Amino acid sequence: MCGIAGVLFKHQGAHEIGKTLIEMLDGCQHRGPDSTGFALYGEDKEQLQLRFIVPTEAEARKQAIEAIAALLDKHGASIVSEQSLGCSYRIAVDFNGDLFAFTKDIEDQAKLVSVGHTLDIIKDDGTAHHLDDVYHVGEFKGSHGIGHVRLATESAVRPEAAHPFWATGFEDIAIVHNGQITNYWKMRRRLERRGYSFHTDNDSELVAVYLADKLSQGETLASVLETAIEDLDGTFSFLVSTKDEIGYAKDNLAAKPMVLYETDDMIAIASEEVSLNRLFPGQAINSSEPAPGTFQTWSRSI
Amino acid sequence: MVTIDLSKTGITEANERIRACAQQRDDIEIVNPDARHNIGVGLVVEDPVTVRVKGSAGYFCGGLSDGARFEIASNAGWAVGDNIYKGSVVVGGNAGAIAGVAIRGAEIVVRGNMGSRAGQVMKSGTLCCGGNAAFMAGYMMYGGRVIILGDAAAKVGQDMSAGEIFVGGKIESLGNDTMIVDMDARERDEIMEFLERYQLKFDGDFTKIVNAGKKLRYANAEPRTRPQPFFVSSKSSNYWNPKVQEDIWIKGEVGRYRIRGYGASKPVPHLNDIAFVKDVSTIRAKPEELAHINLKTTVGGRFGARPLSLSMPVMIAPMSFGALSRKVKIALARASRLSGISENTGEGGMLDEQRAEADQLIFQCLSGRLGWNVKDMQRADAIEIYISQGAKPGLGGQLMAKKVTPELAAIRGIPVGIDLRSPSRHPDVLGADDLVIKLQEFREATFHKVPIGIKMGAGRVNDDIKIAYKDGFDFVELDGLQGSTGAASTEVLENVGIPTLSGVQEAIDGLREIDAGNDMDLVMMGGIKDGVDVVKMLALGAHCTSVGTSAIIAGGCIACMQCHVGTCPVGIATQDKEHEARYDLDRQAMNIHRYLESLRWQIAAITQALGYHDVHDVNRGDLVALTPEAADITGLPFKPEYRELRRPSIGLAQLDRKAG
Repeated sequence: MCGIAGVLFKHQGAHEIGKTLIEMLDGCQHRGPDSTGFALYGEDKEQLQLRFIVPTEAEARKQAIEAIAALLDKHGASIVSEQSLGCSYRIAVDFNGDLFAFTKDIEDQAKLVSVGHTLDIIKDDGTAHHLDDVYHVGEFKGSHGIGHVRLATESAVRPEAAHPFWATGFEDIAIVHNGQITNYWKMRRRLERRGYSFHTDNDSELVAVYLADKLSQGETLASVLETAIEDLDGTFSFLVSTKDEIGYAKDNLAAKPMVLYETDDMIAIASEEVSLNRLFPGQAINSSEPAPGTFQTWSRSI
Repeated sequence: MVTIDLSKTGITEANERIRACAQQRDDIEIVNPDARHNIGVGLVVEDPVTVRVKGSAGYFCGGLSDGARFEIASNAGWAVGDNIYKGSVVVGGNAGAIAGVAIRGAEIVVRGNMGSRAGQVMKSGTLCCGGNAAFMAGYMMYGGRVIILGDAAAKVGQDMSAGEIFVGGKIESLGNDTMIVDMDARERDEIMEFLERYQLKFDGDFTKIVNAGKKLRYANAEPRTRPQPFFVSSKSSNYWNPKVQEDIWIKGEVGRYRIRGYGASKPVPHLNDIAFVKDVSTIRAKPEELAHINLKTTVGGRFGARPLSLSMPVMIAPMSFGALSRKVKIALARASRLSGISENTGEGGMLDEQRAEADQLIFQCLSGRLGWNVKDMQRADAIEIYISQGAKPGLGGQLMAKKVTPELAAIRGIPVGIDLRSPSRHPDVLGADDLVIKLQEFREATFHKVPIGIKMGAGRVNDDIKIAYKDGFDFVELDGLQGSTGAASTEVLENVGIPTLSGVQEAIDGLREIDAGNDMDLVMMGGIKDGVDVVKMLALGAHCTSVGTSAIIAGGCIACMQCHVGTCPVGIATQDKEHEARYDLDRQAMNIHRYLESLRWQIAAITQALGYHDVHDVNRGDLVALTPEAADITGLPFKPEYRELRRPSIGLAQLDRKAG
C-alpha cells in the first residue's frame, strides 16, 4: 500500500541521490502519507555502518544505546563514530567477524535497520520533506538509491515498520515493495528452516531475505529476480538495490503500477510518472511501463 | 485559447477553470502537467471544447467527462478516459493500464503502446491503440470496439461479453470464451475511416475477435422450485431438512453451487444477544414528549462536503434497479423522502423517477461500472464506492438472465439476456494506494461538494476501516453477514462474511487504534430490523444505520426465495412487466414510510427511557451482553441475569395498550 521510487546514476561521481529521491517520493506522497524511507548508496566506507531505531524518550533512548554498546562489545566491534538523530542511532564500527552471526544476535535484542559499507537506510514516520528536515537526507551524495512512501494498513505506524527493508544478515542489500505476497508464511517457514529469523510480519522483509539468500549462493541479481517472479505469489512491484546494482521485478498480473525512464546517464523507476516528471519538470518524457512478469537490472559504472 | 499552468495551479482549481472556460467555449491548454492526476475530470459540456495537455498526464485524465476532446502530447497514466460518454482522448505517447476503462461511447486513441486490461468493462465507443497492447486488452468488455494496430499480448478479450476486438499484429493468446471470426468489408471500411480521422496509418490485415458465447449464461439454469419461505427454509434445528434436501437435488441437476437471494440463515450472535442495562420495557412516553428527542443525523461532513441530513439515524440500504423492479425503487425513494432519510441506487444506475422522488440519494459506484456516469454523479447527494457487501464479501454482483431485459441492459450498457456476473474488483482500485487516487477523481468530478463514502462487506474490518479512514472517506457503510442480496451462491451467503456485531466492534476498535476520533461517520447495516436494533447499534458505536431487507418486507416482500429467478410473485425482485404490474406502488410506499416511522418512534422512546435527549448520546455503558459469545465479541459485560428482565418488546407493549 504505497509508492516506490529508485534511481541509479550510471557514471561515477557524487550524485545528488538524496535530493533526487526526496523529489520523487514527494511526487507520490499521496500514495503513502504515514512514513517514508530511503536506502542510499554512497562511498565505500572503511568501517561497517549500522543504523538502529531507538526510542525518542531520553531515558529509554539512553538505555537502548547502552544496550547496543554492550552488544557490540560482546562481539568485539568497536565504535569509531556515532550520531544520534530523530528516532535513529547511527554508528560506524570496526568489525571483521562473521556478519551473519553478529547481526542475528544484535537483531534479537535491538532494532537494527541498516547494515553495510556503502548503504544507509533512513526511515521514519512522516513525509519525505520531514525526513529531510530531521536527517538531512538531501545532503547525501552517491551513486544510487531506492525509496518508499507507506500507507500503514495491516501493521502499525512505527519507524521500524517503514520501508526500505534491509536483508537480515547481508550487508548493502535493500528492498522497497508495493503489493502483497500471498504465500508469505510458506516462504517464511522455508527461509526459517534455512536459519533466517524475521523481526516483523511485513512481507517486504521476506522479499529482502529471500533475495539476499539467493544472492549469497552466488546467483546474479538478474537470475534471482527471475526466480522471485516464479516463487513469490501475489501482486507486487518491487525494487532491490545492492552495492552496485538496482533492479525491479513485477508480478504476472501487473496489478501494481510501475514506470521507468532511462537515459544514457541514469535510470529512474517509480510507481507513477508523476515522480519521474519531477526530475524533468515541464518536459514530456518518453517513459515506459514494464510488462507483466518481467524484471531488469542496471549497474553503476565501477 | 486559455492557458493553465499546473506548476502554479492545483488540480481542483485548474478543473474549475477548465469548466469555466468550457462554458465560454474556449479551448484550454495545460502546460507543465508533469503527470498530475485527474486533469479535466468532471467536465460536462454541450459544445465540444478541446483540452490540450502539453506533456504527460497522470491517472484518470479526461475521466468522468462528457462531450470534450482531450489531446495529451505525451503519456497518460492509469485509466485514461475513464467512463467517458461522448468525446475523445488522444494520447500522443503511451498509456498505462486500463486505458478507456468503462467508456460508454467515447473515442480513445493511444498512438503508442497501451498497458494491461485496456478497455476493461467498456460498454460502447472505440478504443484504438497505434502500438502494442499489454495483456488482457478488452477484459470483461460489454460492448464497443477495440482496435490494436500492433501486437496483442496474452488473453486478449478475456471474459468479454460482447463487442469486437480487431488486432493488426500478432496475438499472443486469446482469452476465455473468445473466438476469431471473419470480418466483412464494411467493418474494415469503418476502421479505416476511423484511422484516417486520427491520422493513423495501417495497411495490414486485421484479426477479428468476438465472444464465443459459451459462458454468457450458466450452462444449467436454476430451476423453478416450490416456494419455501425463508423463515421456514432457514430453520436450523434439523441438520437434514427439506431445504437441504432440495439443495442437494438441484445441485445434482445443475452441477454447480446454488444461487439464492436473502441473507445468511445460520444463527450468529446479533443484537438480540445484547440488552439495555436500564429496563426500558415499561416506557410510557407520550408522542409530544418524544418529539423533543433529537434524532437528527448528518452523514459525510468530514471534509467540508455538504453532508446528508437525515431526520433519524437510518438510511435505505443500497439495492439495485435490476435486483428490484422500477416500481419498488420508486416506492423506496418516496418513502425515504416522506421520512426524511436517504435512498441509495445500489448497482446498476440511477432512475429519473427515483431521483425525482428521493430528496437525498446516494449513487453507488461498482466494479462493473454498470449504469455509472458523470451526469448522475453530479446530481447525486452522496457518492458511495462499493468494495463488497456483507452477503458476499469479495465477490461481484449477480443478476440472472431473466432480469437482464432490454430496458435494464440499456441503462447498464450490457448485452440483453446474459447471466450478469459483475467483476469482483474495480479495474482501477487494486490497493489502498490506488483507492486514494480514485477518491480524488470522484471529488474532482463532483467539485468537492458531495460526501464520498465507501461500502464494505464485513471481512477484515479492523484493517479495512483504517484504510477507509486514511484514504479520506467521509463515511463508511459497513455491512455484516446478515445483510441480504438479490442473488449469490448459498455457500458464500452462509460462510464468507462475519456477523454485523463483530463488524461494528472491529470497526470501532480499528478506529480507536489509530486515534481516528469520530469524524468519519460509520453507518452499520446487516440485520437491522427495528428501532431497538438501531439504538443498540448506535450505543455500540455506530453513527447511523441502514435498512434493506426490513424495508423490502415492509414494502410487500413475502420472502418466498424467488429473488434470483426473476419471477417474484409480488412484483419486487423482478423485471417482468407482468409481475411488476402486481406491485401497488402508492400503497407499498406508504407501508415502507409507516415502517420507517415506527423506527422513529422506537428510537425516540428508547432514547428517552435511557435518560437522554439526543440519540447520539447513547453509549456502551447502556448495554450488557446476554450470551458469552456476544460478550466476547463486543467486550460488553456478560450479564445472563438480564435474560429474565426481558419482556415483550416495547412495540408490542404499545400495541397491547392500544388494543386494550
